[in-house]
Amino acid sequence: MEYNGSAIIAMKGKNCVAIAADRRFGVQALTLSTDFKKVFQMNERVFIGLPGLATDVQTLYERFRFKTNMYKLREEREITPSTFARMVSSTLYEKRFGPYFCEPVIAGLEKDGTPYICTMDLLGCITTPADFVVSGTASNQMYGMAESLWEPDLEPEELFETISQSLLNAVDRDAISGWGAVVHVITPERILTRTLKGRMD
Amino acid sequence: MDHFPGNWGQPRSRDDHVFSSTDYFPGHNAYDVGSRAASGPAQRTQQPMVTGTSVLGITFKDGIMLAADTLASYGSLARFRDVQRIIKVGDSTLIGASGEVADFQYIEHILETLTIQEYDHDDGQKLSPRHIYEYLSRVMYGRRSNFNPLWNSLIVGGVKDGDRFLGFVDLQGTTYQSSTIATGYGAYIGQPLLRKAVEGREDELTEEEARKVLEDVMRVLFYRDARSLNKIQIATVTAAGSKITEPYELQTEWAFAEGVRGYGA
Amino acid sequence: MPITHEYQSASPVKAPVEHRFSPYTDNGGTALAVAGEDFCVVAGDTRQSEGYHINSRYQPKVFQLSNGSVLATGGMYADAVTLVKRLEQRLEWYYHQHEKKMSVDALAQMLSVILYHKRFFPYYVWNTLGGIDGNGKGCVFSYDPVGNYEKHHWNCTGSAGHLIQPFLDNQIGFKHMQGIQRRFLTPEEVVRIVKDSFTSATERDIYTGDYVEIFIVTAGGIDVQRVPLKRD
Repeated sequence: MEYNGSAIIAMKGKNCVAIAADRRFGVQALTLSTDFKKVFQMNERVFIGLPGLATDVQTLYERFRFKTNMYKLREEREITPSTFARMVSSTLYEKRFGPYFCEPVIAGLEKDGTPYICTMDLLGCITTPADFVVSGTASNQMYGMAESLWEPDLEPEELFETISQSLLNAVDRDAISGWGAVVHVITPERILTRTLKGRMD
Repeated sequence: MDHFPGNWGQPRSRDDHVFSSTDYFPGHNAYDVGSRAASGPAQRTQQPMVTGTSVLGITFKDGIMLAADTLASYGSLARFRDVQRIIKVGDSTLIGASGEVADFQYIEHILETLTIQEYDHDDGQKLSPRHIYEYLSRVMYGRRSNFNPLWNSLIVGGVKDGDRFLGFVDLQGTTYQSSTIATGYGAYIGQPLLRKAVEGREDELTEEEARKVLEDVMRVLFYRDARSLNKIQIATVTAAGSKITEPYELQTEWAFAEGVRGYGA
Repeated sequence: MPITHEYQSASPVKAPVEHRFSPYTDNGGTALAVAGEDFCVVAGDTRQSEGYHINSRYQPKVFQLSNGSVLATGGMYADAVTLVKRLEQRLEWYYHQHEKKMSVDALAQMLSVILYHKRFFPYYVWNTLGGIDGNGKGCVFSYDPVGNYEKHHWNCTGSAGHLIQPFLDNQIGFKHMQGIQRRFLTPEEVVRIVKDSFTSATERDIYTGDYVEIFIVTAGGIDVQRVPLKRD
């Protein structure tokens, strides 16, 4: 998990959810690029953040893309975030004794519009809190920030500010994540995506 | 005259090292090396041998109460079944010990020396529980800093000039004060029960209630701690002075064991 | 627990092997300090732990020193107590030799030297020193166990240090805030942020809790507040 470094966070708001990630790709202390994609859109209402070993991030994304496409073709409907989470979980547990080094974060809206967030460990053990989830090398810092800044029933713009501040201030106290960030706020009407400038040291 | 027995060397055996040519060069023979090895490097407690298990301490309305059983174990063997692990120091202080019993008896000895020295000053000053606690904590910390620890967890309790005191010190010199303290296995099983009974009621709990709490917890410990005994002592210190009960047996109930798999039936 | 066991898994049941004596232990806890324009706030929780045990709910590890500064400690409590005794001794010698109290800057340097003197058997303590410097301005110094130190405007160390530090960067240092006027906070604002920091840290860190003791150092003296935290 500490080989490449990453920080991903998701939060619930009032009829909306947000997910954010840093943009660094590096090998231990050496930064190689600052436009690395770690959050992926699976459909109109489901996003997944994949912090951890970069090669597993990309492998897992391709597997999930394949699986959600197959789901859509077979079921003729979009996968919901909670169902998607179970799918991710079993994908990880399949490799119980030679795991992917990745602790995913999932955020999205259910069929009825209910916000859904969850995270899991590298073996696929899911947890679904009522407020926010964090994952990656800056998770301690993000816990401290989010625990202080988050409050219930935030509107989309308030949620954007809260998650952005939580992530940006957290990654500045982690040596191997940061270098810019990307934030997605998911509402029933639209998806708001913003890339943020951050400290480049 | 060399007063260190370790330097005296060993009696010579006729059969040993008869072919060693270095025998004829005093100071360069095998025995000179051996004589240093006879005393060996300084002996330090690296692990306890004969040990006492939990000690409990609580605060109540008029003072402090301690409890401990009288067992000194040798590993899993119940070796000595009538060993006092709570002592008086002066009139207003009690000390209970778990861990190496020999080290505790050494501590008892240095505290006795200290008490006599203080008495000889004849200045009308008496050591308070806080003084003794401070002294003990420095002894324990000093020994750990020389990598030669006294292998104990100690509870110091006392009352002096209306001031109740209950403190803990261990082999690493760690100290803390609290209204309930439990050492050893008692920290796992006893402490939650003590906190439930005592926390927030320190100024209400009567001596009788306090004794009941300690007896109940000692009984629970006897049921579940394999290195414990149902023969216990309870020590009380109040403004009126301190007293330690004679060892007595706790009444226990084993009828339930009949229906429990693993207990016998 | 002082005595730890290690198990060998060759057979299902094996007698626990006594561990070699370790002179060190970690008693947990969190401390922070914030320098204001003409004041300083130092705070620490009062829980003392060892492993999963709570030794005491109120065993303060933030110490008011005789020269008017406040030292917050974390790590091994026994070492911290010993260190504070030594510092107090040196402060008293200094007072009698120079007929004045030692300045906080001088104390900061002296603390570094005392820690480095034990470079090869260190005091296992993370220190945060707060006070008012020679110019009447608030100052904060933080140390590692062997005496490496740095002057800050705000700092947080200890078991929840990673959680609180970015929050202080944000709220005290106005980091990542745009279109606002950067300024020194009032003591009241700082105390409010300190309380928020500790209540949040208590949620996520098992070694932080019970009470937070807040020392507000001003030219007029030191005010102490004790605020309850969750006890779980």
